[in-house]
Amino acid sequence: MQIIHIFTELGTGLRRNVSMTLSLVVTTFVSLALVGFGLLVNEQAEATEEYFNGRSTLLVLLCSETSSGGTCVNGEVTREQREAVEAALEENPQVDSYTYETAEEQYEKAGELQNQTAAGRRAYEAAEPANFSAVYTVIPFDPNQVDGISEQLAGMSGIENLVNVADQLGLLYEFLDLLQFAALVIAAFLAVTSVLLVSNTIRLTAYARRKEIGIMRLVGASSWHIQLPFVLESMLATVLAGLLAVGSLAAMVELGVNRGLKQAFGDLTVWIGWSDAVFAGTLTMALAVVLGAIPPLVLTRKYLDV
Amino acid sequence: MIRFENVTKSYGSTKRPALHAVDVEVDKGEFVFLVGASGSGKSTFLRLILREAQPTTGRVFVAGKEINRLASWKVPGLRRQIGTVFQDFRLLPNKTVAENVAFALQVIGKPRATIRTVVPETLDLVGLAGKEDRMPEQLSGGEQQRVALARAVANRPMILIADEPTGNLDPTTSVGIMKLLDRINRTGTTVMMATHDVGIVDQMRKRVIELANGDVIRDQSRGAYGYQI
Repeated sequence: MQIIHIFTELGTGLRRNVSMTLSLVVTTFVSLALVGFGLLVNEQAEATEEYFNGRSTLLVLLCSETSSGGTCVNGEVTREQREAVEAALEENPQVDSYTYETAEEQYEKAGELQNQTAAGRRAYEAAEPANFSAVYTVIPFDPNQVDGISEQLAGMSGIENLVNVADQLGLLYEFLDLLQFAALVIAAFLAVTSVLLVSNTIRLTAYARRKEIGIMRLVGASSWHIQLPFVLESMLATVLAGLLAVGSLAAMVELGVNRGLKQAFGDLTVWIGWSDAVFAGTLTMALAVVLGAIPPLVLTRKYLDV
Repeated sequence: MIRFENVTKSYGSTKRPALHAVDVEVDKGEFVFLVGASGSGKSTFLRLILREAQPTTGRVFVAGKEINRLASWKVPGLRRQIGTVFQDFRLLPNKTVAENVAFALQVIGKPRATIRTVVPETLDLVGLAGKEDRMPEQLSGGEQQRVALARAVANRPMILIADEPTGNLDPTTSVGIMKLLDRINRTGTTVMMATHDVGIVDQMRKRVIELANGDVIRDQSRGAYGYQI
């Protein structure tokens, strides 16, 4: 009986507040979609960082079999040259750590990047490990010291090229950071609006139902029995908003990343995929449930005196 | 059943307390009139029993429990043992007579089968058999108060609190309601009724507790509204 009664109350509440509930759905949907978007941007930044071993790294590309001229007059880097480079890194007090990857490993890693697009895949299939350089990935103590380390290594034989990752990806990181910040700030404002809308709905409903609620309290209805229709009403709205937000995240990944960014800038970085969307979507849904449950629990206590 | 131990209740910063050092004990099955002028503390007295308010000092016991120390989640349990009726009936206008009574049972989680048997029984008890499907607006004042009474006693409470139940009714109708309250009292329910109705109090000859400015100035068994020697 209780359950039927609670759902009858829920139905009455939804009919009474249909426009308020719709506005709650829309506001919460936009807010949650932005939170999800912020999470995706964060995932993207992390994926990029992971691929390049951090934001401020120096890639020391050693001469490969196909290199020639300049510091690579001897063709592929020799063992002595490599030891000299390693010794220079060991001695440099600005170097925090470094890792070494062979040309073979670099070839494997490039596959991750290239295989994101059809064109990249074709190019990758034509390539072979010999086209790749062995690489030292150098992480400095201070991000500003990359140039200093670079200057020290410049001109050493056996080094084909020195790449400051920040030069290449700095703009991308800045863009991602700005995007994430903007999304989260707007989402926070909208989340506050959602809470205010829930609060407004509860106040109006509590006023419209003050007689029923008064009788319920008087005859000894438990607090949860009085609160539950309010909580369910708001949760229904936010969960619906959450589902719409998850849908929009899926659209962002499919249309924005898979068909957009990946095609246009396929070899810039490793782009996020469905597993990241599932992660962001799960967090977004969890937030939807929390946003739907907590404010009414607190506010009904305030407005209904239960 | 109900015991007030040195109970004082002040609201906000007002100088004079609404109730002042009240000591009262009401036994199970008693019928008690609470009389006194407006503002004498009658409503506060009833609110304290329902734990709608907390005493400033002193202790209130209902059914053996010190209710001012009751955890708030246990308050609904207390209120299920107390039926309440008011001067203004407080019926839900969009529900029928039967639905109004059933509502009180639904919201405390009574099974549907129980509600189906209890509602007609209770309406029969208050003399409203055959009017289950009427809306409150289709009933007279006396009948509406009977619905309110049916709602209050449907859960078989140990205590019935009536706050001026005849305040809106004509004398003849009031007698009918009083007979009903007397009948409910005879089933063992403790009845506590606040009233201004001199005629009823004088006629019923029940225990009278009189309040004036928050003090109990008289507690008389088989009393009348005013002093009688």
